[in-house]
Amino acid sequence: MTVGANTAPASPASSAFVAFEEITKTFGATRALRGVSFEIRPGETVGLLGANGAGKSTLIKTLSGIHPPTSGRIIIEGEEKDFRFPVDARNAGIATVHQNIDDGVVFGMTVAENLLLDEIATSQSSFFIRNRTIVERAREVQEKLDLDLPLNSLIQDLPASGRQEVAIAREISKNPKLLILDEPTSTLSKREAEKLFLAVEEFQRRGITILFISHSMSEVERLCDRAVVLRDGMIVSEHEKPLDSTAIAGSILGELVLASKHEARPGKEVVIEAKGLRAFPESPPVSVEIRRGEILGLTGLIGAGKTELLEQICGHRPLLSGTLSIEGEEYNPKDVSDAMKKGVVMVPEQRALQSMFPNEPLWKHSTIGLAEDFSRSGFMLRRREIAFTEDVIRDFQVKAPGPLAEIEELSGGNQQKLLVGRWLSRGWKLLVLDEPFRGIDIGARGLISSALRQYSEKYPVIVCSSDPEEVIEVADRALIMVEADIVHEDNSANLTAETLAQIMGQGREAQTTRNVA
Amino acid sequence: MGTTALKAPKRSGIEATKQFVYRYGLLAVLGLMIVYFTVTQPFFGTFINAMFILQAASIVAVVGLGCTVSMTVGGFDLSVGAAMSLSIMAAAAAMVVGEFSGTVAILIGMCAGLAVGVLNSILIVYARIPDLVATLSSLFLINGLTLMGVGGQSVAKGMVINGERTQGEFTPLFKWIGSGDVFSVPASVVIAATVFILVTVLLNFTRWGRAFYAVGGNPVAAAAAGIRVARYRIAAYLISGGLASIAGMMLAARSNRGDVNVGDPFLLQAVSAALVGYAVLGANKPNAFGTLIGAVFVAALINGLTMFNFPYYAQSFVQGVLLVVALLMSYTLGPSRR
Ligand SMILES: Nc1ncnc2c1ncn2[C@@H]1O[C@H](COP(=O)(O)OP(=O)(O)OP(=O)(O)O)[C@@H](O)[C@H]1O
Ligand SMILES: [Mg+2]
Repeated sequence: MTVGANTAPASPASSAFVAFEEITKTFGATRALRGVSFEIRPGETVGLLGANGAGKSTLIKTLSGIHPPTSGRIIIEGEEKDFRFPVDARNAGIATVHQNIDDGVVFGMTVAENLLLDEIATSQSSFFIRNRTIVERAREVQEKLDLDLPLNSLIQDLPASGRQEVAIAREISKNPKLLILDEPTSTLSKREAEKLFLAVEEFQRRGITILFISHSMSEVERLCDRAVVLRDGMIVSEHEKPLDSTAIAGSILGELVLASKHEARPGKEVVIEAKGLRAFPESPPVSVEIRRGEILGLTGLIGAGKTELLEQICGHRPLLSGTLSIEGEEYNPKDVSDAMKKGVVMVPEQRALQSMFPNEPLWKHSTIGLAEDFSRSGFMLRRREIAFTEDVIRDFQVKAPGPLAEIEELSGGNQQKLLVGRWLSRGWKLLVLDEPFRGIDIGARGLISSALRQYSEKYPVIVCSSDPEEVIEVADRALIMVEADIVHEDNSANLTAETLAQIMGQGREAQTTRNVA
Repeated sequence: MGTTALKAPKRSGIEATKQFVYRYGLLAVLGLMIVYFTVTQPFFGTFINAMFILQAASIVAVVGLGCTVSMTVGGFDLSVGAAMSLSIMAAAAAMVVGEFSGTVAILIGMCAGLAVGVLNSILIVYARIPDLVATLSSLFLINGLTLMGVGGQSVAKGMVINGERTQGEFTPLFKWIGSGDVFSVPASVVIAATVFILVTVLLNFTRWGRAFYAVGGNPVAAAAAGIRVARYRIAAYLISGGLASIAGMMLAARSNRGDVNVGDPFLLQAVSAALVGYAVLGANKPNAFGTLIGAVFVAALINGLTMFNFPYYAQSFVQGVLLVVALLMSYTLGPSRR
């Protein structure tokens, strides 16, 4: 690699693979990055941490050619680069897996085509593309990475985790010099995440440089040689191995907040009874009781049938079998609207796909399912809607310019805070949250957890997550699903993340223990 | 950080200008154009001419508002011109052949428009045919049906059916729609203004309007928030068909006859008014006020140019220029998120 003639010696340590110099980025009035300088040395794995809205995604977007920086320089292998388009970054050997997975896949194409998108898009392949060749090539990629994806299915038919795997696999298969992963595990289950880590470790052995963004300290501790913490668009600290997670957590938030340990509450009277429900037509029937005054946690691997079960309770899909009752009365929701009228509401897991309206302001998002509360004889009460949105923004510490901002202006975690927070404004017969902590920083997770615990004093809540730690942190009682069956039930006080993970890993036949309190 | 502080204001200056053009550009052009025509052509600014312009815009505005509603749910109604033609024929035949009263004729005409809406809803919501394809097929179906119904001839006073002269004629009430006025404001302008107010209120201030936009923005998320998506899409197509029929009767009342396929040219005019409307006030989505401005803009432009003896055959070109300018404003100057 030749060094460009116009390259001023950036810094004495020009051995860096990437050097950011005084990078700033503004969006209108929002200053997302305010002079970020740091270096990534060749072959190392750097963890980039920071609270929601700190600017992590924005920083890597300047490096991957999506948002050119407002000012500052990006120097790669001693040469100043001006990436205007993603293809510029790719040509420099930088591969990026973005936080919003659906930015990384093309709907309407098959999994195989998505895996080989770059080859198809560039002159690497011949002008005429044969479907058979694509599938064969995709199979090679898949074997190398030890994946098992349905190559001929359309990408939109895969669950979020599958689409994420495809997006990651494609970037990895490009043999980049620098691999950027923006919260890659937020849609993956433990097992899938483990596969990803093995692939990353293989990369590290081959000397590939990696920039890894995550909210999980344990992931960063495991993979990273160094950690850099962003807060409000500035680097606030750099940490060398051995990483001190307490110091890092404090640095992320600017203060030290420890997850508050809670007592498991016994729960009061049964509000909702589900008998003989099935996640899938052929799966065993399961029964669940949901009580007032407790948070019921539901955990299990991705694909265990959690979402399918909950969606039936909330009217998102028709009941396959069994009966439901609310406070003793029969309840059989026709659709979501019917379920909500009867007091049952669900926060779906796929934020962008199931909860967001492009180009619409926050205040419209915050009241979309609550139109009845915010209208009088059919007319919307705009002022009250805006005031309500301001309340949610304040109560859940949503980092946003104000209620009139459009949803895309918020970072992923802040979108989630608003979309969860809006439902707690009124009491539901049942509030179901599917993966509510996705992409949320530790501070926000504590905030939402304690808001949920307070809310659940009066109203029943189900929290569903494939991360056992999250379930133990927030729930009073935990149910574990394996292969569409509820195999274990216990007070969360009696459980540890390790035991939960172990139960989830074993097959369904291994045990059926329901320790009903 | 020093360099940033210096650079930032300069950038935001350009940014602010872009923002201003994006939001107010089209209205400013319209304002300047009106001022220019008024100064150079004294007749342009008179009340009478203003009414001419609004009258010319009224039919396009009513059809365009219908298109706007179907666009809010993410749809597209290509059959509005055909719906207009059908309801013109139905209303005219009711009076000329059936010798019904004006009120009944109006009701029959509106039912015809709503029937087109029902057909579209069935094709789109129940048969799950994509909007463009479905409404294109109903365009042909309805136009064909209209032609067959009247045997390919115009419906007017004294027409001959099976060798007999018909006795009926357009009733005074119906004619009033085309030639009457309220305090010297033409009736068609009053009707269009009423439709505009109703659609504006519906889209901007009611629960229904919120649901329409939500369905158009992200149908999956709308359903997850408890909105019955199918119901709102049906409603939107019914409104679109209904407004097309009102426009049809405004047109028929003007000429006092029902000519075959007279509705056709209004489809493209209405769609372009709705698209020009995207650029008004930086809405970047279908909106009632924008559509109204889109309709009035074209009418005023053509009215003014005619005073300069601008050839009539260049009107399409002028309309095309306006559409391109408006689309540039909403898509090129608009906020980029990529
Ligand atoms: N396209 C955009 N338009 C306007 N503002 C934006 C845009 N993208 C990001 N921002 C703002 O920039 C800031 C940084 O956002 P960014 O997405 O980089 O955060 P993040 O650190 O990745 O957070 P998270 O952990 O929630 O993903 C936020 O205040 C956000 O609101
Ligand atoms: Mg991010």
